[in-house]
Amino acid sequence: MDLRTLASLGSGTGYNFGFLDELSKKAVRRALLKAIAIPGYQVPFGSRELPIARGWGTGGLQITLSLVGQGDVVKVIDQGADESVNAVNLRRLIERTSPGVGLTTFTREATIIQTRHRIPETPLQAHQILVFQVPLPEPLRVVEPREEETRRMHAEADYSRMWVALYEDLVRHGRITRAAGYPVLVNGRHVMSPSPIPRWDVPRLHQAEFLSLFGAGREKRVYAVPPWTDVEPLAFTDHPFTVERFDEPCARCGSRTSYLTVIPDERSTRVVCSDTEYCDEHLALQEASR
Amino acid sequence: MNVAPAGPWALRVVGLGKWFGPGCDACLAETGPEAGRSTCPRCGTVVACAGVSFDLRPGGVLGIVGESGSGKTTVLRCLNGDLTPSEGIALLGSVGGGERDIFTVSSQERRQIRNFHLGMVYQSAREGLNLRISAGGNIAERLLAAEWREVAAIRRRALTLLERMEVPRSRMDQPPATFSGGMQQRVQIAKAIANGPSVVLLDEMTSGLDVSVQAGVLDLIQEIQRAERMAMLVVSHDLGVVRLLCERTIVMKNGRIVEAGLTDQILEDPQHPYTQLLVSSINA
Repeated sequence: MDLRTLASLGSGTGYNFGFLDELSKKAVRRALLKAIAIPGYQVPFGSRELPIARGWGTGGLQITLSLVGQGDVVKVIDQGADESVNAVNLRRLIERTSPGVGLTTFTREATIIQTRHRIPETPLQAHQILVFQVPLPEPLRVVEPREEETRRMHAEADYSRMWVALYEDLVRHGRITRAAGYPVLVNGRHVMSPSPIPRWDVPRLHQAEFLSLFGAGREKRVYAVPPWTDVEPLAFTDHPFTVERFDEPCARCGSRTSYLTVIPDERSTRVVCSDTEYCDEHLALQEASR
Repeated sequence: MNVAPAGPWALRVVGLGKWFGPGCDACLAETGPEAGRSTCPRCGTVVACAGVSFDLRPGGVLGIVGESGSGKTTVLRCLNGDLTPSEGIALLGSVGGGERDIFTVSSQERRQIRNFHLGMVYQSAREGLNLRISAGGNIAERLLAAEWREVAAIRRRALTLLERMEVPRSRMDQPPATFSGGMQQRVQIAKAIANGPSVVLLDEMTSGLDVSVQAGVLDLIQEIQRAERMAMLVVSHDLGVVRLLCERTIVMKNGRIVEAGLTDQILEDPQHPYTQLLVSSINA
């Protein structure tokens, strides 16, 4: 039985608007309010069952489904792409269980953008909410396997071991090699994992105009960065944080100001914008001006 | 660097007690040196230490001696915050004007005290060091906790400390797992004193070393203590260590202080029968 049939069973659609029942949505929203009140702090929440497997974006999806209402317009991306399998399936689930909610691939049109590992290139505005899918919410897990101990470290703001890990990386490799999910200090208090976004996107969270919400379904945690909040990557004064640099422009649209990714092509590999919507738009603009 | 406290003591401990178990009315009367046991016969509570009081003057070195199970390490672990004491207060001259009981502060403040005011050297390097990260990284941990954020400055400080502890420059970026026992202890000392603490706690730090290496480590400690004017609390079962390092000594047995005074006096003219036994054992 496919989802559409399942959804149409019983009276009306058979499912509550947004798939989750209202009390579950309320529980998620309460956790989110707490998360927004304590920027960067991981709030435990009762992760619900969804018709997709844990670890496939259920954290982000629960946030999106709890927030979405009539008149909202949702965009879903996976590594910047609107048409990848994960994004398409999540979008389809939202579409079929939330009648009246618009879906788009245009960043500017969206009110809620659910993302896996990227921030759209087009600058977001105050009315937009960015929802991240998070595989591993605990930034300290790399230095401390015990949950009880990482909680104590957060409570006491005892982050010296995280700093030592960066120091060791620097001493061993001459630079900090950490690429995705670079640890950040939020609001001068909590060390947070920004989810596995590239370094490129990290500075874009700092003093951002928009609200960022992070959901880890399998690990049952949500956290948030409210608008206009300090988000500083952990770095040394004599080895400042740097983002990825690209020698070539995008092979498709020629952009030099976006994050690029390597696409294996039939003949060779191509380096193109990771944000497909931005790339399309940039290309259209250039063709129009020609 | 912390300024040496203005008060007459760097550390004052009053009535420190720590027990493991439910505790009953008879615990204190039924344990101690007179009773010859630390476990309460009525309720089975282990009274690790009780009624421990002493002052440690700024720049002074105080020894705590006693056999194993006498409670000397418990005292140290309570002071360092590894254990929560059952009763008593402890004041640091450099914290809150010497009027703040470090046993009752919040865990956040406790961590600050540990990072800035105290240094601890454990008997086993395994406890005081992460043996898999580099020696420099271990020292950096203390500096980073004190919000040093410049790698070059951190490395300069770590190098200075390691050289003072006679750890070769070339070992700085190697993990202490590859070091000898004596060198591991020297790295531990370098780490403990990295932030210029006002009081350093040393727990049997030479017990696992052979005699010739012991002498070298003790010399280094003495040198650095004199240069930095740090107060030290030295726990040892070895009277030789105490005789070399400490001006004053406390003798503990079954969780109680049985004798306290100048080290020379205690060694030359021990008053308590237990101390006499201890002293005669090394002179023999």
